[in-house]
Amino acid sequence: MQLIEQVKKIYTKLLWTWNPGSEKESGDAIVKNILLHWFPNKISKKSLSWNYSFYLGTISFILFMILTITGMILMFLYVPSVERAYSSVKDIEFVIAFGWLLRSVHRISAHLMVAVVFLHMVRVFLTGAYKNGKSVGSNRPTNWIVGIVLLLATLLLSFTGYLLPWDQLAYWAITVGTNIASSAPVVGEKIRFFLLGGNTINQNALIRFYVLHVFFLPVIVLFLFFYHMWRIRKDGGLAAADNESLNQKPENNAPVKSKTYSLLGITNGTSVHVQTTMVNEEENSVSSVPHLLRRLWLVTLATIAATILLAILFAAPLEEAANPSVTPNPAKAPWYFLWLQEIVTDTTLKLGFITINGAFIGGIILPTVLIGLAIWWPYRDRSGLNSVGVWFSPERKKQNYTFIGICIIIIIFTIIGTFLRGPFWNFYWPWESWPTMPVKF
Amino acid sequence: MNHKNMKQKLEFVIKDKIFVSIASIIFLIITGYIIVNYLTPEWKMYQQDFTSVVEEKLGVNRAATVRGGLQQIYVKDLGVTDRCITCHMGMEWKGMENVEQPFRSHPKEILAKHPITKFGCTPCHGGQGYATDMQAAHGFAPFWEEPLLGKELAEFYVISDKKAMMQMNCNTCHRYDKETNGMSVINRAKQIVNDKGCRACHVVNGRGGTVGPDLTFEGEKSAEQFNYERIKGFASMFTWHITHFKNPKELVPETVMPSFGFSSSDAQSLALLVMSWKKGKLPIEYIPGNNFKDVPSKEEIEKEERMKNGPGAFFVQRRCFVCHSVSSLGVEAAAQIGPDLALAVEDVQSRFGRTLDDFLMKPTGTMEVVLSTMLPLTKEERLEAIEKLRHAYELKKNEKKTVVKK
Repeated sequence: MQLIEQVKKIYTKLLWTWNPGSEKESGDAIVKNILLHWFPNKISKKSLSWNYSFYLGTISFILFMILTITGMILMFLYVPSVERAYSSVKDIEFVIAFGWLLRSVHRISAHLMVAVVFLHMVRVFLTGAYKNGKSVGSNRPTNWIVGIVLLLATLLLSFTGYLLPWDQLAYWAITVGTNIASSAPVVGEKIRFFLLGGNTINQNALIRFYVLHVFFLPVIVLFLFFYHMWRIRKDGGLAAADNESLNQKPENNAPVKSKTYSLLGITNGTSVHVQTTMVNEEENSVSSVPHLLRRLWLVTLATIAATILLAILFAAPLEEAANPSVTPNPAKAPWYFLWLQEIVTDTTLKLGFITINGAFIGGIILPTVLIGLAIWWPYRDRSGLNSVGVWFSPERKKQNYTFIGICIIIIIFTIIGTFLRGPFWNFYWPWESWPTMPVKF
Repeated sequence: MNHKNMKQKLEFVIKDKIFVSIASIIFLIITGYIIVNYLTPEWKMYQQDFTSVVEEKLGVNRAATVRGGLQQIYVKDLGVTDRCITCHMGMEWKGMENVEQPFRSHPKEILAKHPITKFGCTPCHGGQGYATDMQAAHGFAPFWEEPLLGKELAEFYVISDKKAMMQMNCNTCHRYDKETNGMSVINRAKQIVNDKGCRACHVVNGRGGTVGPDLTFEGEKSAEQFNYERIKGFASMFTWHITHFKNPKELVPETVMPSFGFSSSDAQSLALLVMSWKKGKLPIEYIPGNNFKDVPSKEEIEKEERMKNGPGAFFVQRRCFVCHSVSSLGVEAAAQIGPDLALAVEDVQSRFGRTLDDFLMKPTGTMEVVLSTMLPLTKEERLEAIEKLRHAYELKKNEKKTVVKK
């Protein structure tokens, strides 16, 4: 008998990681489950609309999922060693079934994710969606900060992935990137040493970047993402909903007939009196299932289709194997850091015997100031409730213009760095051809 | 709920459903394209063609033995993965000697010494062994440094011998051979290196002078390490070497390397030779005869000893012999660029209108550059040189007299 008990115990332990002790506990488990409460029961039409959110957050997450799935398959095929990395990528390109597609989709999704997460941030700023509405317990500034951390994590994820193919593009982009990091005063060299696990980009750097890329950063992003989602529910949904309720007087919903589960069985009665936050809830909102679900399905389908299409049209390049003794001309950082590289070169000046260290200005001070400003902004923004969840609120005109200005500068510098900077970082107009680089034969 | 709302709701639902349908159709089309693309790679077409050629030439039974699917040769020692045989299927087949490429079998005599399982394909032929489509495999693709060293490249560089380019790779293993069967172009270049005495200025395989750069691993350099400003036409490392060999001053005006007046084909041979001088990671058994040392021939050693210890030793030690012979003292110039110094006493007078003593103490022209930068001589050494040159001149005069008497 005892043996059977023991076996039962082991069986339960194996199959039930958590065994609720009471019905209350099991009830709580459902109430506390974020997956079951990811979406509300009903969603306002404005929150659902295309032109409020453009579904940029949703697209970011879908891209993250595409990256996770393709990345997990690539993990079976890629070898993170200096000797094997390049040839394993060549194998993925040429002999693995659908390998070229996997790699290309992974690369395109990564680039898109950086862009879409950035656009999502722009949307949130321009709609004032980092501001608290009327709902109790809302703390949107925290979620805005979580969002900034997610953006930085996305950039880091992409940056760490850049090194993995171990080709010239990878090697020199990481050289430029980590050299910018090393220009920080006092600790700069130490930061670079820590990032690379040495003074040169070698096996230590590769394995560090790999582990960060396939484990730590994705796990951080996943946890932060769920916190981001949970906060949205806690903050009363999208800011658009706050704006909708603002212009509407709350009204009492008449009690409706319902059933109550009493101790002795089911008794008929009415529901409690509920004060809704919306007039005509029926008119302004729809049930999440199936309407939100259908839309999410559509966005998912469209994102996957667009990503694959782009992956087919723009095949992932693989340059020559990494060669520390040959610097490509020009050596460029990943595109999303090119605005910084552009600023670094523009601010590196020699005035007589004084040299202004551009890497320190463009690479350290500027990003730090921008991130600091972004974190501080929601607390500084004192515009009223009317500017929560509306595009280009007149009350936030100045802020929006400043923000758009900064974004335009970043985008212009990125475009200059990406398309208009040729060999020796010389400026070339789009209609000017770059001098051809020499080849062996 | 009123009907108007119902209708509005329905409109957005219908729109969404239409969009879902469109996205699904696009998704399906893309999926279809990917699957078709996967099922019909270029190499499958070649494999089908090969089977038909075998069927036609050697019969149905042999055709049934053709192995399909991706094929590769992995040579661990060389770190080579070559998938060329996926299309070049007739490589080791008998009876396929006269069919068109890509199915023609490889010349047997070369394969006998260079088994395909030990050497792979790209170590000799160049190209991209990883690739499984022709354009990429032949290496005429972006970011691939060494394309197929075959007909196309030879035609591009107007080289009459279509297999000449490949000899560059042969020399990776055969670099220490004095002469190798079937490597006429490289053999010619090696002979030029000896005849023209390149070692007088350059270290090659660990031996030679230090006037010019060490050339032992010249082939390791990358294309970016050369200056192409003065190159007319296509900027490639190969073109740079050819142009430089033909006329060094055209590319590097300040160089002291003389122009040897090489023909185009000699310049091409030399370019291929210097580009073959790579470090390589060859296991010892790949070096023919396990000879991985550039040993000078008996005659070369004798000549060197004679010059080093003979009456003209001074001119050899001071490296004057790089350009000048001193015939009466048994010093033979490596490059024979400058005049014979045995006649310097009267030669200087006739060329510069100055005495030898005066000229050597205050040289002008090329000698001023050489003696002030590359071969600096102290005052005592210059005096010694003058004395020795006088002696050489006396000897030369006597030599002439004897000849006249005879």
